[in-house]
Amino acid sequence: MSRAMHRIAAVSFGVLALLTVWLTFQQVVAGSTYADDPRNLRALPDPDDSRRGIITTADGVVIAEDRDGIRTYPEGSSYLHVVGYVTADASAGLESTRASDLRPLDDGSITSWLITLFGGSLEPPEVRLTLVDRIQRVASAALDRHTGAVIALDPATGAVLAYASSPTSDPNELISGDLTVSEFRDDPAALDRVAFRLLPSGSTFKTLVAAAALEEGIRPDTILEDRAEFLAPGAGQPITNVTGGTCTGGDEITLREALAVSCNTVFAGLAVDMGGLVINDIAQRAGFNSVLAFELGAAISSIPTAEELDADLGALAQTGLGERDLRVTPLQMAVLTAAFGNQGEMMNPYLVDSVLTRDGSTLKRTEPESLGRLIDPAVAADLVSMMVDVVTDGTGRAASRPDMDVAGKTGTAEGAGGPHSWFLALAPADNPTIAVVVVIEGEGTGGTVAAPIVAQILNAWFG
Amino acid sequence: MSERTEAALLLAATLLVGVGTAVVTLTNDEGITIDAYVAASAFLASFGGLLFALKTWASRATRLLLPPVALLTALGLIEVFRLDRDLGRLQRYWLLLAAAIAIGVLRLLHGRGVEVLRRFRYLFLAAAFGFLLSPLLPSGLPIGGATINGSRLWIRLELGQRTLSFQPGEAAKVLLVIFFASYLADRRRGLAEMPRSIGPIRLPEPRQLLPILLAFGVSFAVLVYQRDLGASVLLFGVFVVLLYVATDRPAYLIAGGMLISSGASAAQNVFPHIQGRVDAWLHPFDNFSGTGFQIAQGIFALGDAGLFGTGLGAGAPYLIPAAATDYIFVALVEETGLAGGFAIITAFGLLFAVGFGIAIRSGDTFRSLLALGLTVTLALQMTLILGGVLRLMPLTGITLPFVSYGGSSLLANFGIVALLARISHEERA
Repeated sequence: MSRAMHRIAAVSFGVLALLTVWLTFQQVVAGSTYADDPRNLRALPDPDDSRRGIITTADGVVIAEDRDGIRTYPEGSSYLHVVGYVTADASAGLESTRASDLRPLDDGSITSWLITLFGGSLEPPEVRLTLVDRIQRVASAALDRHTGAVIALDPATGAVLAYASSPTSDPNELISGDLTVSEFRDDPAALDRVAFRLLPSGSTFKTLVAAAALEEGIRPDTILEDRAEFLAPGAGQPITNVTGGTCTGGDEITLREALAVSCNTVFAGLAVDMGGLVINDIAQRAGFNSVLAFELGAAISSIPTAEELDADLGALAQTGLGERDLRVTPLQMAVLTAAFGNQGEMMNPYLVDSVLTRDGSTLKRTEPESLGRLIDPAVAADLVSMMVDVVTDGTGRAASRPDMDVAGKTGTAEGAGGPHSWFLALAPADNPTIAVVVVIEGEGTGGTVAAPIVAQILNAWFG
Repeated sequence: MSERTEAALLLAATLLVGVGTAVVTLTNDEGITIDAYVAASAFLASFGGLLFALKTWASRATRLLLPPVALLTALGLIEVFRLDRDLGRLQRYWLLLAAAIAIGVLRLLHGRGVEVLRRFRYLFLAAAFGFLLSPLLPSGLPIGGATINGSRLWIRLELGQRTLSFQPGEAAKVLLVIFFASYLADRRRGLAEMPRSIGPIRLPEPRQLLPILLAFGVSFAVLVYQRDLGASVLLFGVFVVLLYVATDRPAYLIAGGMLISSGASAAQNVFPHIQGRVDAWLHPFDNFSGTGFQIAQGIFALGDAGLFGTGLGAGAPYLIPAAATDYIFVALVEETGLAGGFAIITAFGLLFAVGFGIAIRSGDTFRSLLALGLTVTLALQMTLILGGVLRLMPLTGITLPFVSYGGSSLLANFGIVALLARISHEERA
């Protein structure tokens, strides 16, 4: 009987030990999983402590802070589409997605206890962005009185260096009550044209067609037929070049030359020759037709299916030029441009570098995240070298720099009120530290409108 | 432990009640009210009286029993008051009454010994059945049954303006343990013999098996007529454990476990409210505004607690339905944190260690089984409710001994403490 009683006692203490472990586990799991559940009334901020932390750029400029208890945005309209705003009953942008990171740390959690244990500060933390104010400032100024977007990424990590959309408006007017939330939200300025504006990509899509051609075994110096017109089988209208004749004046052209001068007949022909499967495949690898896990959300860039493309070769030819049903966001184009400069590997774009306590210790840091391989390093190297020719000898001369090679690609897409001007750039071409995408809506060609803005951005970056 | 240390610990618990109650009212901007003094006084009177009774009538009893009970009772008294002022004040009267009953038990057994209980075992059995059946009395009489939260296990006493609800099953549980211990002390040899066999399975005489089937039948009847899953599992579980300990035959544990699981799965299929509890346990967020609401609120509360909690009175445990009874542990963890949760579990651990120690050291079979049965009752009850609120198992509505609001629960559990103290006293004779 005694042995049995010892066993029952042992089991009881085993249960107690299990309950202790399980309580801890539940607290940690429940603590992290349901802290921000909308049904969790405890997750609502403490009405007695509505202090929020500051938001700063990578180069230390304060973009959002509390001044006498009022949320203030010292940089005005420049960061609206990234940082957003917060009022008593509405919030947007990082002010919304990072609400829990900006809250005071003194919440009784195990984390806050550890911070005080090591003498840390429990003031609301600082959210430090990857954005660099000296570029953002130039990007916002360059977009002033235009409609369009600028985005710059670090190709190696996906860190966003600049993120500007125009038109924009000043969130301080919302805070001060000059505008109501619905007036503010319904204004065209509220649209984030980096992540949510879908436009035809124009000739910038030729970079992907060229990448597919390189994968198919065509070399940059492979000689292709230089035609004045290309008529896809079954299509009504032939495709012509901007020059009216052939691209070189002769009847032979290399792939490199074709990309440099953005030769329509060559790329339309390549698209039709390679077929809908290849064109659709490279675009899908570049993230088309799927959701990009971006902190602020993003519209889905889209390309028709391989079957749809093969069923209408005229449309396939035009897709090769970035027209017809192809729709892209500047953000998606920046992601794939950055991949060209990162040996073909796509990185997920992110805006927040780290969350810091007010005395500077790191609470969290964003780890760069790969989205997978777009193209092989050898293909990427060939493509970038061809894109250098665009800037040195081709349509993108306005973005050239005396101190380094810049790789780029122009695009001019059809738009209702005039052509949309695109430019993709990577610099320095041999080891890019920045990938830039600029789009200006309804004002002219890529080489004349967007390329000079890219040049300004590169000037700000390289000094 | 010396008498002096014991007294010091009880005084510390008294101070905890006073300060804790004051913190609750201060947090709610009410200042320090009379409640702090009244609660501390009621607490001091109860435990002072118990201490005196032990000294007088069970002087050799272990000194380790009262301090963990005092800590648990103190935390319960504070948190119930924090959740519901009226219930908190009522709980003080129940505490005084419970201490009085414990003192009465010690007085009655003085000179006669626990042994005397054996003589009345069939009376206890009949009384236990009476208690268990009493909620089935028609409602509407001055004393009548009542259905609360889908379970009919309450007796309602109409006292003019006031209505007192009482769960007679709590008293029945102590009486049944006394009966089980006494019955098994007599019959253990017969039950341990396994003269018959079917293939490799050895069986006792069939007539020896009648009691276990009877106990199972009663437990299942409690479940069917009163829909009280917790009490049902508790009664049967304690019986099976006692049967195993008395006979040293693990086969009884296995058979009991099989009966519990088949009974549970049958119940799950027959009773929609039990099926609902299983669903709520597995997927509380699927039916957030319905059956899963209580468990989901409990999860939110645990998540909000952190290491030291929000502080007494500063959390939102009132968002959890039945916070003062089923969810008192989670309410305390929300406001006192992981540290508070560990303190409660540790206090129970101490209490069980003392209880098992008394059972193991007791030379007499009946006393040994009784002490073990009473300790296992507390342990199983704690496991059922903590396992339920922490989502180790489906939630069964049952009180956390000494901590939850509930007069009947407090009375029964203080009765258990008095019996354990008495056995401890006799064991050291």
